[in-house]
Amino acid sequence: MVSIKTMDLVKRFGNVVALDRVSLNIKHGEFFTLLGPSGCGKTTFLRSIAGFELVDEGRIFFDEDDVTYVPPHKRNTGMVFQNYALWPHMTVYDNIAYGLRVRKLPKDEIDRRVKWALKLVHMEGLENRTPHQLSGGQQQRVALARVLVIQPKVLLLDEPLSNLDAKLRIEMRAEIRRLQRELGITTIYVTHDQEEAMSISDKMAIMNRGKIMQVGDPIDIYFHPKNSFVADFIGQGTFIEGEVVDIDDFLEVELESGLGRVKAVPSRNDLDIDVGDKVLITIRPESFSLNPIDNSNRFHIHVYHVSFLGNVKRIQGSSNDKRFLVDADPMANINPDEDITVYAPYKLTLAIKI
Amino acid sequence: MSSLTARIVKEVNELRWHFDALNWVQLLSVLTVFTFFLILPVLTIVQSSFIYNGKISLYWFQHILQDPLYLPWKGVEGRFFDIIEYSTQQGKQVLIFVEGLDFGIILNSLFVASMTTIFSTLIGFVLAFIFARYKFFGDEILRIALLAPLLSTPFVGAIGIKKMITSEGVLNTLFVDLLRVMPFRIEVTGISAVILVQTLLFYPITFLNIYTSIINIDPSLEEQAENMGASGFYLFRTVTLPLSLPGIEAGALLVFILSIEDLGTPIVFRGSNADKLMPVYIFRNMFTPTGSIKGDATALSLILLLISATIFVVLRRYISLRRYAMLTKGGIWRPRRKKLRFSVSVFVYIICIFILLVALLPHIGVLLLAFAGEWPSGQLLPTYYTLRNFYKLFTEPGVLRSIINSVVYASVATVLIIVLGVSAAYLVSRVKVRGMELLDTLVTLPIAIPGIIIATGFFLVYLTTPLSPLIWGAPLLIMSYTVRKFPFTVRAVFAGLEQVDKSLEESAINIGASRTRVFFTITLPLIFINILAGGMLSFIYSMSEVSTGIVIGDANHNDAPMTWKMYDMLFKGFGGTFVAAAMGVMLMLLQFIMIVGSNLLLRKRAVALIGI
Repeated sequence: MVSIKTMDLVKRFGNVVALDRVSLNIKHGEFFTLLGPSGCGKTTFLRSIAGFELVDEGRIFFDEDDVTYVPPHKRNTGMVFQNYALWPHMTVYDNIAYGLRVRKLPKDEIDRRVKWALKLVHMEGLENRTPHQLSGGQQQRVALARVLVIQPKVLLLDEPLSNLDAKLRIEMRAEIRRLQRELGITTIYVTHDQEEAMSISDKMAIMNRGKIMQVGDPIDIYFHPKNSFVADFIGQGTFIEGEVVDIDDFLEVELESGLGRVKAVPSRNDLDIDVGDKVLITIRPESFSLNPIDNSNRFHIHVYHVSFLGNVKRIQGSSNDKRFLVDADPMANINPDEDITVYAPYKLTLAIKI
Repeated sequence: MSSLTARIVKEVNELRWHFDALNWVQLLSVLTVFTFFLILPVLTIVQSSFIYNGKISLYWFQHILQDPLYLPWKGVEGRFFDIIEYSTQQGKQVLIFVEGLDFGIILNSLFVASMTTIFSTLIGFVLAFIFARYKFFGDEILRIALLAPLLSTPFVGAIGIKKMITSEGVLNTLFVDLLRVMPFRIEVTGISAVILVQTLLFYPITFLNIYTSIINIDPSLEEQAENMGASGFYLFRTVTLPLSLPGIEAGALLVFILSIEDLGTPIVFRGSNADKLMPVYIFRNMFTPTGSIKGDATALSLILLLISATIFVVLRRYISLRRYAMLTKGGIWRPRRKKLRFSVSVFVYIICIFILLVALLPHIGVLLLAFAGEWPSGQLLPTYYTLRNFYKLFTEPGVLRSIINSVVYASVATVLIIVLGVSAAYLVSRVKVRGMELLDTLVTLPIAIPGIIIATGFFLVYLTTPLSPLIWGAPLLIMSYTVRKFPFTVRAVFAGLEQVDKSLEESAINIGASRTRVFFTITLPLIFINILAGGMLSFIYSMSEVSTGIVIGDANHNDAPMTWKMYDMLFKGFGGTFVAAAMGVMLMLLQFIMIVGSNLLLRKRAVALIGI
């Protein structure tokens, strides 16, 4: 187990910059997730850690060791591929034993450790199957066992759940987290599914166009986005631009499109917002209330769509052509074409500098 | 300066990261073989073309460009056809003698190659379109039967068809003497006969290439066009034709190159203006009386090389290892094929069966010759049949030896091709370093280099070395087979590699296996079938190699391969043709087994594979 540190990684593919000065610190035993839209560079980052991509600039450290030019087979990472990449010409046993045979361990030691790995992923008794005789979930378990058995310094998971159906995905998500906790192994997980990322990670990094947009724990990222990309990418919300006109206990923001003034708080304490700055006002759907509350901003909106989501009723409406997303009580009696008033507490009206 | 040092350190690090010891061995061995047995001979031809009396000079080119032998300075000679009247015991007869005009050696070659390309492309396109777009009873069998000329081994087609189309040949005997449906005889020879034979030999190549590119057109593209109101010829002109153009162009260019370098066909029509084609002329006139290579032969070689290299550069847009992979990967969707109305399908049958009959003429001729005891001209069929010709394969002095020679050379060459071919394909497919495209070009290059040029180059380079073909024929023949048949095999391997998901290899590297170990334990087992199929193809292609075989065979009869022996027997007079035909039948049988075998191994993956 190691900590991983990258310094200013740059990787170009032709004119495309896949990694643009990526610096990250991943601690011992941490479950770290890279989240971003497809093509944002997250898989390239993972492959650079594994050593399959040679970065054009920057350095990669495992603890104190510079591994930037260490070839992939000497890095001792355990990577699980999106398609599992099980070797079709070998049995489950041979697949798992491969890395141990490479390390020239004695036969009984190999046997002992393969058995241990099979037990770890609940696949005892299936060692003589070939990969095409396994279901998707079983293949996934074998792929995990194959890398865990060599006791890698770091576990690298590249969208490992994307080929599974919805129910199995949730089951395996918990399974992966259990294994990670049990073994205490540093893990980097790549996904484009924000719900998956939120539910599984100790810490996550949001990436876009090769750049790290924000690093933090899931709660921090959801409630305190650092910039408009993160605010927009994570969760849903109502987004309106405006300009800061005054600062006292709250920020006083003049909204565009003649929506008037609102009071807001900086999304994060470290955002340095001054009078005259352009900001993006972000309000999460669940921050709204249909009933008047103290210290809140008021909006009159025209409802054009109401969808019942089970736990909430989600109202889509507009005011002066700005789109509003409001969650209401599932039993609330709201219908399209109504005009309603909604309230958002100052403390939950977030301002992000743009 | 320090930034330069940093840059060098970085480049070295990157190179070390991309290349492991195995890759270096692979790269260096491929480069060594290609340097010594392709680049060096070709460069030597270039060099000696510009040397006259020990000085750098354009003498040979001036000589060639001024001599009416090469270019038609004294006007075009001969006539397209002659009508000859003569009397026989049956009365007056008319013979239409078709030989073709003589434009001088250089233009003759260009003319033959152009005509062969045009005819093969037309036939190939018509057939490809019919089979790719329509369903009718027996279409699968007909389609495979129409590929039969691919089984043609050197000389065989030409020997067979020559027996058919001379004035006393089988066709004239049948239609003039027996059926009396034709009032005159036709004899086709010389350049015209070469065009005829080559068209029949090469149309399957355009057919296969065009067929593959049509069935690989995503049906939804045409459906979308129909959806927007296009139909019939408009749809064909605006969508189907443009999308199949790469296949058409690749097939046509390949035929052009094969035609212009073909030595086996024109050599059979000895004594006509077919002697005035570049490869034949070089072959007949390359040696001075003292045994060295003539300057005008090397200069003519260089001109031939420039022509085929130009075509290759164009072809290169379409033919790289990658393109082969793409061609063989496609076809996951169901191609659009309509059922033909009965009346139309009768018409299609007539076309296909006519082409098939004409295409099979050489094969029928060769089979009859191989079993013939005696076959006087003017006779429809041999007077009696015998197995004696096959018996002679094992008893006639020299014949058996040449067969054994060929088997040995082809086997060694196959091993070399596989080892080096797998290496080259692996490097091009897996090692992402700048300059790997050059390796791809290099290993595809032999397609562009006429065999006669390799042969000439080998003599120039190695005549005075221990590898001299006069001392020992084997090494140079093996190396010539290896280099010349390399591209056709390496692509079978490359196609296999492209189908192996890279993550299968990366996952092994990830858990600690070196690239070398991964290569042997993961990669090779997964592409074993492709290697086997590729090996079978290289064996049979090597057995059938003509140009270097007959040049080196002519210089060293003991070490000559069977293609030289066939050539030798062909002009030996009494019975020689029959034995040559029997050797041809044996080669055809071997070819049939190998091609069917490799196709069975590759199954659907093989669509474009046998199309050379």
